[in-house]
Amino acid sequence: MRKIFKQNEIYIFFIMIALIIIITSFNRSFFTLENFFDLLKGHSYEGILAIGFFLVLLSGGIDVSFTAIAVVGMYIGVYTLILTGLNNIFIALLVAGLVGILLGAINALFIGVFKIPTLITTLGTLSAFQGGLMSYLQATKQTVISDPPTSIVNFGKFAIFRIVTAKGSVIELSIFGFIFAFFAILTWVILKYTTLGRSIKAMGGNREAAKRAGFNILRIQFFIYCYVGFMAGIAGLMFGSYLRYIDPLNLVGNELTIIAAVVLGGASIMGGRGSIIGTVIGVSIITILNTSLVFMKVPQYFQQAVIGAIIVISVSITAYRQKRKDRETRVLDVA
Amino acid sequence: MNEEIISVKNISKRFGAVQALDNVDLVINKGEIHCLVGENGSGKSTLIKIISGVESPDSGDISINGKLYKKLNAIDSMREGIQVIYQDLALFPNLSVGENISLNQRIEKKEKFINWREVRDIAEKELKSIGKAINPDDLVEDLSVANRQIVAICRALTHEAKLIIMDEPTTALTKNEVENLFKIILDLKAQGISVLFISHKLSEVFIISDKIAILRDGKKVGDFKAEELDNEKLVFYMTGKKLVATKFKCEIKQDSGKPLLELKNFTKKGNFLDINLKLYSGEILGIIGLLGSGRSELATAIFGLNKPDSGELFIDGEKVVIDNPGEAIEHGICYLPEDRLSEGLFIEKEIEENLSVIILKNYIKSGLIQRKKLRTDIEKLSKDLNIKTPSLELPVQSLSGGNQQKVVVAKWIAANPKIFILDGPTVGIDVGSKSDIHQIIRNLANKGIGIIIISDEIPEALQNSNRILVMRHGRIVKELESDCITEEELNKIVIESIPKQPEKVSI
Repeated sequence: MRKIFKQNEIYIFFIMIALIIIITSFNRSFFTLENFFDLLKGHSYEGILAIGFFLVLLSGGIDVSFTAIAVVGMYIGVYTLILTGLNNIFIALLVAGLVGILLGAINALFIGVFKIPTLITTLGTLSAFQGGLMSYLQATKQTVISDPPTSIVNFGKFAIFRIVTAKGSVIELSIFGFIFAFFAILTWVILKYTTLGRSIKAMGGNREAAKRAGFNILRIQFFIYCYVGFMAGIAGLMFGSYLRYIDPLNLVGNELTIIAAVVLGGASIMGGRGSIIGTVIGVSIITILNTSLVFMKVPQYFQQAVIGAIIVISVSITAYRQKRKDRETRVLDVA
Repeated sequence: MNEEIISVKNISKRFGAVQALDNVDLVINKGEIHCLVGENGSGKSTLIKIISGVESPDSGDISINGKLYKKLNAIDSMREGIQVIYQDLALFPNLSVGENISLNQRIEKKEKFINWREVRDIAEKELKSIGKAINPDDLVEDLSVANRQIVAICRALTHEAKLIIMDEPTTALTKNEVENLFKIILDLKAQGISVLFISHKLSEVFIISDKIAILRDGKKVGDFKAEELDNEKLVFYMTGKKLVATKFKCEIKQDSGKPLLELKNFTKKGNFLDINLKLYSGEILGIIGLLGSGRSELATAIFGLNKPDSGELFIDGEKVVIDNPGEAIEHGICYLPEDRLSEGLFIEKEIEENLSVIILKNYIKSGLIQRKKLRTDIEKLSKDLNIKTPSLELPVQSLSGGNQQKVVVAKWIAANPKIFILDGPTVGIDVGSKSDIHQIIRNLANKGIGIIIISDEIPEALQNSNRILVMRHGRIVKELESDCITEEELNKIVIESIPKQPEKVSI
């Protein structure tokens, strides 16, 4: 029992519960299935992006280019349908995913082969990917796709089940929630039950030891960034379908929300520590905060401040706990 | 049992201008405990890297298990059963004990999936064979250094090791833990596994090894059975000089009666209790005691880093309150910290900068640093202390441990201390530098400086001080002249009635 309380996740879980209670006391309609499913539908794409960011963080790196990959994947995915005239959502998903893998591979190339630090690389690709898309659009005199093909629109509307209550409110569980759950579970399984997954965690814990043990660091890095790119592409397409509006200027600039969520969930900036569950709870808390603060008429800038404060506090708490741990087990530290 | 596990002949390796190894031979037999000794820079780590396949020699032959290797790489070496445990252990702190033990093996065997039951079973099997009750689910970062070492050994064993190479395994261990490690090593020997270990602690070398190989300046100067050597001979082979261990005699007469430093009722909760001590000019006061006895806490309190709850401090008979190290330095107190790497040096900065740090303010004229004058004085300082380096502009991390410590000592000497406290000044340092530092300290004392030396090694304390204080649980339990007692008797006083050693020591 004690072990459960040692885990980070239990604390943020209680924070989440506390938040839900507080907000429900302000607004009773918050605590309804309809609302929760709604939040899930609108923010599943963020959850997927968070899982990707978490995976990179776990390996000891940091990837801020995911929003750009999502946008490029989204645009090219939809545009392919328009170009080819094929109105098939699976093609769009496939293309978005492949674009994500390709862009992720570019990240991996700079990080793994040219050994450029991860933050610097992905800051660069963040600008480069979006910039590349914008340049192409300008050259071909296109901007937004305000009228995406019906398969895209239907994708956004697709519900696994739909219930209309007597009062006339609609409770529907969107397919997006299902995709989010799928990626969360898949990533969890990879991390817990495959050698590759454990190697990722090991790398984040002690990169030098991983090298000495003969891990194929390059191969692992390619996997990480391509996998994260794939998820980002899919998430981007989900985002576009939901809005029914494909705008290349969207998404990029909102990285901080995702980063806050992952860090809040207990992942360490240093790498090697954190969990999928924590990330999911972190995303939930950030989503609840973001949507409810609006409810309670809190201005936009204040929301940004809150997000920023959360990042600082979460990172400080993680760092402080690590410091205490180091002090407790120090015997005679001689290098 | 004269089966050769590994035999290297005529190994030479050059790094730029430095001939790291020069025609070195080494043979290790099955079930043999072989010790590799040598000063810093003698070529020990290079030899280890060549045996483990991480580096390749310029010339020479390597035979492992009877097979001749023209080019040996790390994977071949591992496959032949050679496992290296580096000083930093190279474990994954964020993973469990069980995982650390079995992860590398799974990767070697190219297994794609983790069977957690198997991981646990393998870990438990190895831990049992070592005889230590460590929970395989614990995270490595929660373990003590000694236990982490055991995990590293278990990991080496899962690869069916024939030869385990340990690089300075005892540096961070307490006496009890060292004994435990030796038991484990003897067990390995009984199972037919050979052990090659590098150590600076000559006393341990004699306890545990069957054979001792000595390197000096890249050449092998000898390979002896442990019985054939004694401390003196060993030191002679290692350094090429006869280092006679003389005893320090306090030369300055105590006629003034006023102590340089006096503490009255110094107390700090959880650190030390009711400390009364006097330090006179020209003497070396040794403070010994077990880990956790409060010695370093007392030292840092005198230096202003660890303010006491109550008590008085007098310098030259005048009461003084020291709130921070800056004030301590102004009163002429200098402190050499326990951990030179993180507390004594700016590890990436040049030697020159490290040496100038305290005295820099003395060289400022109209806001600018008088670089030339500073440089001249620093060079003299470095020469006086025999710091071996091709250039003062190299980063201090390029120096050997012994020379690094000399830099820290020099830095403080430059500040002209009246009272110099040294905490573990020769920990992890080779024999030659150790002797140099002892001589430096004695010279300082003979110039009238009052010295306090905190040491874990009773022989070091006995030989380099004229008076000794024994601390236990934060109190001074005994004070004696170092003339009046033998090593055995002093050892007994130190370890008298200690409780069973806990695995984690909270500081």
